Amino acid sequence: MLRVENLTKIYPNGTLALKNVSFEVADGEFMAVIGLSGSGKSTLLRCINRLIEPTSGKIYWDDIDITAAKGAEIRKIRRQIGMVFQQFNLVKRSSVFTNVMSGRLGYLDTIPSLLHIFSAQDRARALANLEQVGLSDKIHVRVDSLSGGQQQRVGIARALMQEPRLMLADEPVASLDPVLAHSILKYLEQLNKERGITVLCSLHFLDLVHRYATRAIALKDGEIVFKGFPQEIDDQQFKAIYGQEAERVSII
Amino acid sequence: MAVTQQSLASRQNRQFLFTFLSLIIPGSSQFLMGRRWRGILLFFSIPILGYIIYWAQIYQKVGLVTIGARTTSWLWVPLVLFWIWNVIDAYRLSAGQVSNTFIGLLLVLVILYVVAWKVTQIKPERLVTRFNEARSVATKLINPDMITITVNGEDRICSWQCMSQYIGDKLAGRPTQGPIRASKTLLDILGRVEKVDAPKWMVRLGLAQAGDQVNSFVAGSLVETIAMGLMATIFSTILAIPISFFAAHNIMSRVPGGNVIYYISRTILNIVRAVDPVVWGLLIIVWVGLGSFAGVIALTIHSLAALAKLYSEEIEHIDPGPVEAVTASGANLIQTLRYAVVPQIVPPFLAYTLLRWDINMRAATVVGFVAGGGIGFFVVETIRMGGYQLYAAALWTVAVVIILVDAISSTWRARILADRPVEPEKKRSSWVKLRTAILILLGVLAFIYCWNISEINIKDMLAPAPTLGSILHDFVTIDLSPNTLAQVVQQMLVTVFQAMLATTLGAIIALPFSFLAARNLTGRSRLSVWIFYLTRGIFNVLRSIEALLYAAIFVFWVGIGPFAGMMALAVTTFALIGKLFSEAIEEIDPGPIEAVTATGANPLQVINYAILPQIVPPFTSYLIYQWDINVRMATIIGFAGGGGIGLMLNTFFGLLQYHKAGTVVVFIVAVVAMMDFASAKLREKLV
Repeated sequence: MLRVENLTKIYPNGTLALKNVSFEVADGEFMAVIGLSGSGKSTLLRCINRLIEPTSGKIYWDDIDITAAKGAEIRKIRRQIGMVFQQFNLVKRSSVFTNVMSGRLGYLDTIPSLLHIFSAQDRARALANLEQVGLSDKIHVRVDSLSGGQQQRVGIARALMQEPRLMLADEPVASLDPVLAHSILKYLEQLNKERGITVLCSLHFLDLVHRYATRAIALKDGEIVFKGFPQEIDDQQFKAIYGQEAERVSII
Repeated sequence: MAVTQQSLASRQNRQFLFTFLSLIIPGSSQFLMGRRWRGILLFFSIPILGYIIYWAQIYQKVGLVTIGARTTSWLWVPLVLFWIWNVIDAYRLSAGQVSNTFIGLLLVLVILYVVAWKVTQIKPERLVTRFNEARSVATKLINPDMITITVNGEDRICSWQCMSQYIGDKLAGRPTQGPIRASKTLLDILGRVEKVDAPKWMVRLGLAQAGDQVNSFVAGSLVETIAMGLMATIFSTILAIPISFFAAHNIMSRVPGGNVIYYISRTILNIVRAVDPVVWGLLIIVWVGLGSFAGVIALTIHSLAALAKLYSEEIEHIDPGPVEAVTASGANLIQTLRYAVVPQIVPPFLAYTLLRWDINMRAATVVGFVAGGGIGFFVVETIRMGGYQLYAAALWTVAVVIILVDAISSTWRARILADRPVEPEKKRSSWVKLRTAILILLGVLAFIYCWNISEINIKDMLAPAPTLGSILHDFVTIDLSPNTLAQVVQQMLVTVFQAMLATTLGAIIALPFSFLAARNLTGRSRLSVWIFYLTRGIFNVLRSIEALLYAAIFVFWVGIGPFAGMMALAVTTFALIGKLFSEAIEEIDPGPIEAVTATGANPLQVINYAILPQIVPPFTSYLIYQWDINVRMATIIGFAGGGGIGLMLNTFFGLLQYHKAGTVVVFIVAVVAMMDFASAKLREKLV
């Protein structure tokens, strides 16, 4: 279980990105985080694996205090938490295989990993994960020759190499067109249902939240303005999250 | 009603205030109105121009007119007009109107060009009165001393005419005038097989006995030059990689105290980069003595600074996404560097190294002017003897080598940076493995060979001449006496003006040619394709030889002095600007031309509205860039008789006046760094 308590983040330039955010994610949930751009979704996700240092507050992961971890301890925690990104964050000039393998680094000794020496087991794992996302035929292709949707699937395969129990997804479909958005979210849903991986996913479109999420929280200006089931978001809630001007739109 | 009247009054007050302010302090109101750079430029340009006019009037007697009993310079008139223009500019801007910068620019240019013309000692009549000299040197240049023919037991240089006759005779089966062979000069340049003492490795392998004479290839000065350029590139690459991390802001900002290290490294790199390898050569020979090794060190130092700067900028521009992703998967710092940083920087690093190899080869051809060794040293000797046909042989062979290097370097760079097509990484076949192994072996052998002929001697480096310490001390305690300062400032101004005129002259001549060398304009007829290749060919050949090597020709033609240096710089400017201009023309977007033509515009209107707006910004940007390069080149053109600050530096070194030499180097660094910064800023604004 992931428990966030009174999380606050103030950036050095004074921006208040998160204000006293508290919530819980039970194991096996597909939790959506919604809100406008700049509402603090990315900061929240990055505080959970400490890519960003929170200013105050606590984050517990199975009663381990993530916010108190240091050095090697953080890396041990990070390797159990997979992450996929809006811009995919792949090394474009490297092959699919190398990119997927880089998800395993937290488990490997430094020296062999620097020389690109991997065990047969890890190689097999990489192939299996690429099969899972339907890209096993592209294993030796350079990433920059793949389409956006394929790149995001490589990103998912990389995260799977960590054998994560929690998956953070930061706007995973915002750079993709609507058809691909569904295909990527279906992969995440599949991992959530079949492997029991807890998913914490920030999303832009409400209909995607309705379709995939089991629970949702909404952020506005760094504060939680909604917590509950996706179906509970009515018109009034919607205006509170997105502002009075907003109109509901749907994609496919 | 009352409100608008009030605001009108306050606006008029504001206008009056701004206009008045700029009358007292030029540029101040432009600065306050938010046009920061315009304000700063105006603020500094008026006192600088004032000083230049004063200096030109007192020392160079430029533009003197006598009014009553007073003698003064008429150049004060455009300066006063420029001041007035600045006031009008402030008035128009505060009134919210558009202000025309053209007039202000024109006034500045009038002042600069009049002074430049005089101090560079331009004497166009010499180009004509000494035309016979020019013709004689041209004939010699066209007929280099490469082939020797023996007629009636007497050796002679075989000109092109003689060679064509020889070949004709041979083909027709007629008896030739005499036997031909490669000339001594050509062998001096390329190398020859000679009997030498058996080298140690042969003795050790049992192939020869100590003291035996064996046939061996003795490298010529051009091979030495190639070795120098190659060694300098390898050394500077190896050294620049670690240093570049200290000069990368995104890396250093993560380390405590890193920002300080960052600024220190960047400053040192910029200073080292501002000093030309030839000037470094002067310092290095004090340390390790004359020879190829001094040349290698000089090239390495300069190239190291330039590469480290480029590398660090590349590190700063990497995509932070993969770094974030790999960190998120739990990798440690070293793994993150290996998997997210290194794959991103290797291709651009390789490309920069190849580019630097090209530049180092060019610099290696001239570093011998002061450092000894290589083709530069050979050229100095031939000029001293007045052997222009020997000198011509050097120029021709240098051109061939540099054109080859340029071609290899640019194709490899293009291949490295190109996005490769989709190709699965196949298992490497044994043939590929063998080929790789052979290439590596050849590379290692070449490296050892180059190491040998460039006389690299670490012992010399570690045990410098005992006087080095005192010389360095002299050098660092620079001479700031008013007399020296006046001398140095004078020569520095000459150098900057020399570069300005060379840029102007070279660009004016290059402009018409650049249209002929633009593929999209020359059309597809056979004639125009020939014109295209011919113009591009001329650009490439002229570009392959350094300005320092051209100087000797113009010294012979128009006499020693800044004019000769200016002409030499103009030739390289012509070639480089011509190439850059023609590439800019090739990049014109045909869309607007089509659109303007479709509105029924005539050809002149099309040029004015669709073509000029597309080429004026890149052209201006290239001109500024070229001036920047020319100032660097002008600092050394004096080493070959081209006047300016280089001549002064050489003299001070020759007279062992290291205090004064130190002053000169400080001024060179300051001016070159300033030009570098200003040109980068200006070009940023243009693009």
